Amino acid sequence: MPRYVVERTFPEGLEIPADARGATACLGIVERNADDGVTWIRSYVTGDRSKTYCVYDAPSPEAIRRTAGRNELPVDRITEVRVLDPYFHF
Amino acid sequence: MASTIPATGFELLERTDELEALAAALATVDKSGWGKLALVRGEAGVGKTALVDSFVGSLQGWRVLRAACEPLHTPSPLGPFLEIADTVGGELARIASRGPQPYALTAELLRELSARPAVLVIEDIHWADEATLDVLRLLTRRVESVPTLVVGTYRDDELTRNHPLRAVLGEFGVHAVRVNVIPLSQAAVAVLAAESGLDADALYRQTNGNSFFVTEALAAGGAGVPETVRDAVLARAARLGNAARRLLDAVAVVPPHVERPLLDRLLPAADTALDECTTAGMLRAASGRVGFRHELARLAIEDTLPPGSRRTLHRAVLAALGDADPARLAHHAEEAEDVEAILRFAPEAGKRAAAVGSHREAAEQYARALRHADDVEPSVRAGWLVLRAISCYLTDQNAEALEALRVAIPIYHELGDTISEGHALKRLAEYLWCPGYVEESRAAALQAVALLEPGGPSRELGLAYDQMAFLAGQGSRSDEARLWWNRLLEVADATGDPELEALGHARGSAVAFETAIDHGLITRAGAIQLGLAADPLWERRYDDADRSGRVALAFCSDHGLELYRHYILSWLATGALEQGRWDEAVDCADQILRTPRASTSPRILALTTIGLVRARRGDPDPWSPLDEAYALGTISGELGRMVRPAAARAETAWLEGRENEIAALTDEAYELAQARRIGWAVGALAVWRHRAGLAVELIDDVEEQHALEINGGHAAAAARWTELGCPYEAALALAETGDEILQREAFDQLQRLGAAAAAARLRRSGVRGLPRGPRRTTRENPSNLTTREVEVLRLLVEGLRNSEIAERLVLSERTVHHHVSAILRKLGAGSRTEAVGRASTLGIL
Repeated sequence: MPRYVVERTFPEGLEIPADARGATACLGIVERNADDGVTWIRSYVTGDRSKTYCVYDAPSPEAIRRTAGRNELPVDRITEVRVLDPYFHF
Repeated sequence: MASTIPATGFELLERTDELEALAAALATVDKSGWGKLALVRGEAGVGKTALVDSFVGSLQGWRVLRAACEPLHTPSPLGPFLEIADTVGGELARIASRGPQPYALTAELLRELSARPAVLVIEDIHWADEATLDVLRLLTRRVESVPTLVVGTYRDDELTRNHPLRAVLGEFGVHAVRVNVIPLSQAAVAVLAAESGLDADALYRQTNGNSFFVTEALAAGGAGVPETVRDAVLARAARLGNAARRLLDAVAVVPPHVERPLLDRLLPAADTALDECTTAGMLRAASGRVGFRHELARLAIEDTLPPGSRRTLHRAVLAALGDADPARLAHHAEEAEDVEAILRFAPEAGKRAAAVGSHREAAEQYARALRHADDVEPSVRAGWLVLRAISCYLTDQNAEALEALRVAIPIYHELGDTISEGHALKRLAEYLWCPGYVEESRAAALQAVALLEPGGPSRELGLAYDQMAFLAGQGSRSDEARLWWNRLLEVADATGDPELEALGHARGSAVAFETAIDHGLITRAGAIQLGLAADPLWERRYDDADRSGRVALAFCSDHGLELYRHYILSWLATGALEQGRWDEAVDCADQILRTPRASTSPRILALTTIGLVRARRGDPDPWSPLDEAYALGTISGELGRMVRPAAARAETAWLEGRENEIAALTDEAYELAQARRIGWAVGALAVWRHRAGLAVELIDDVEEQHALEINGGHAAAAARWTELGCPYEAALALAETGDEILQREAFDQLQRLGAAAAAARLRRSGVRGLPRGPRRTTRENPSNLTTREVEVLRLLVEGLRNSEIAERLVLSERTVHHHVSAILRKLGAGSRTEAVGRASTLGIL
């Protein structure tokens, strides 16, 4: 399955509290993604929490957009990527 | 894990979660009154039936309707649903007894279930015949409307890539509760082994926790663990007496179970033997039927029968069955190698299967007869070949359909049966066109006409003319099409044939549809609906196209015309794409691409839609779908299939800033369009060649907006596009004006559409004053509902159900389900009614 980096902008800052509420929010997203075969691997969030770079496995860019809509998440750009591991060569 | 092990019955070790999932699904149905589908899957012998047994055993106050699909090579069409109809009785049984179409049976079943709720269990749907799958598919689309839990079980280890169940499972979507029955854990196997004295580790290693294998290994009672399930079953059977063993053999050749009267005829006075087998746990006797406790055990016993005694047993069954279902008789006839019986029952079974729409089974029954038909009269054999071809064609086995016709045609020729030969050639033309053999198709149709014309007006000649008119129309040769058309009208007049009469009305007119319906010509009526849906789209009357597309989709869905559904979906996708509703376009296209059908035309449009949406949004990999679409279009050599992929590839190159490639990408299609003088095609391609700086030559009937763009009237072209309802094309035209105010307007429009790539290109072109950063499209109403969600909300106000909303908006039910959940969440509402109330308080509607 292709892997994608999805860039998102949150003008008011992304808010996912580090408590049970946050956990529920994340799990909800994971569950809604599963319907389209989309797996959220992890996200990198900028210091001001206005931008995220999210790594996903998904069958197609359409599936990424469909689940983003369902999760009310913005999408700026989707890029297909491959893994490059710097330590692989050691 | 100990706490999850119930005290009674070891078959149900570690099934608490699965039982709870089923119970929860049923509780939802009970509370909401909306039906649900539950799918129970797992490998053979893992314990699906035991799970269902335990689930239905625990129910109180629910009516349980239960049936299983048969493990026959060619099962009887609608088998499980006919069995259920028999149990229910009344109107359902009456309809079932008349060899119903799947939609008719489903409609009555839904009426029955809405009057009297039930838990409806269909087991082993991996063995289901095509008509049964159609009923399941239709039932699932409507399941929300009846307070019923539908449970389907299947072996997931038997689903090959092209297994017919796969496509159906895809359509079930997320509405289904999915229960995956996994093998027992090592701990559970140890618990079971504890009482037996068998080595627990060895037992687990050998059986991998497969419940049936574990049970058999324990029952085999040897010192060691048997190597295979088969060994375990045989070890158990070896301890039975001779009479009991004979009984096992007889039951083994009658899958899935043998009725008591039949058994009595086969083996009179077998009561003692039967007691011995049931006590030993090999057979189960219930509701007047005797069968193996598990299909794996039956197979193990059947495998040990020497060919001779197997044949003898099947002969005895065939003789004892009398006048049973011909599908069943054909099965035993073939196993008994009784050619006369095969030739008697297989075609009859084929005829019945085709009548209820089980074309996969019909094709196999005719193949069965044809394998033994060397001495059959040639005209009869040719007739079976044609019937096999029809059933193959309708089930996407195109190569087999063509093969059968190519054998049948020379037989008719030899017989001098010109009418049948001509008609088979017309069919050949029809079947050749679908996968894209356009030239061959035309040659066959011309040959049909040449054969049939000397015989004067006939139904077959009319249909051949219709085929010629169709091919000419598809090939964008409208003068020629009109010519064939007029000949068709003459023949229709001369013969008074109702099908020709339906065809003789303006293609795709309401009158034609009525005529077809009046004469019960369902497939023809569906074909007419295709015309009603397509014509307004090609004329860019989008409102009409959307409306008639939805009507046509509903008609074809209800009547199981799956092939036609794909055509309609591809047009709905194209219409949504051109109107800037890209999510919807992608949803429709996805539905087509999920099923591996051979029809090229819908696939080309679906791939083009996906590729273009990706390109415009700047999403990854627009080229794979576009290249595939173009390749499919070029193979057919048909202009209508080449233009859209060619234009889409040109646009994608343009968006990527590679205008210099546009000439090469469009040359072939453009030259063909010019040679044929087809206005819409020349215009669609000329626009991109013009943008790439190539000189273009316009012809008379190029669409107005294309001509305007090429002649420099960009603002006027934009206005025309807007008037037509195509916001993206309008924005592109505005962007060409060179007027910064209009270009900023274009930029905003592109942003609104999510056309990031086109917006970026405009920015690269140096237009000043364009805003930076992404837009926040969902911030436009107080509760952050998206445009789509507001649309769904409006339909909630009308009191529509998800299935109805799905139909109205041409979305899948699961998408609607998600929109509704999002609406409830965003409005903080607990129910649909509450959401509607909230929305009107907030002034969203």
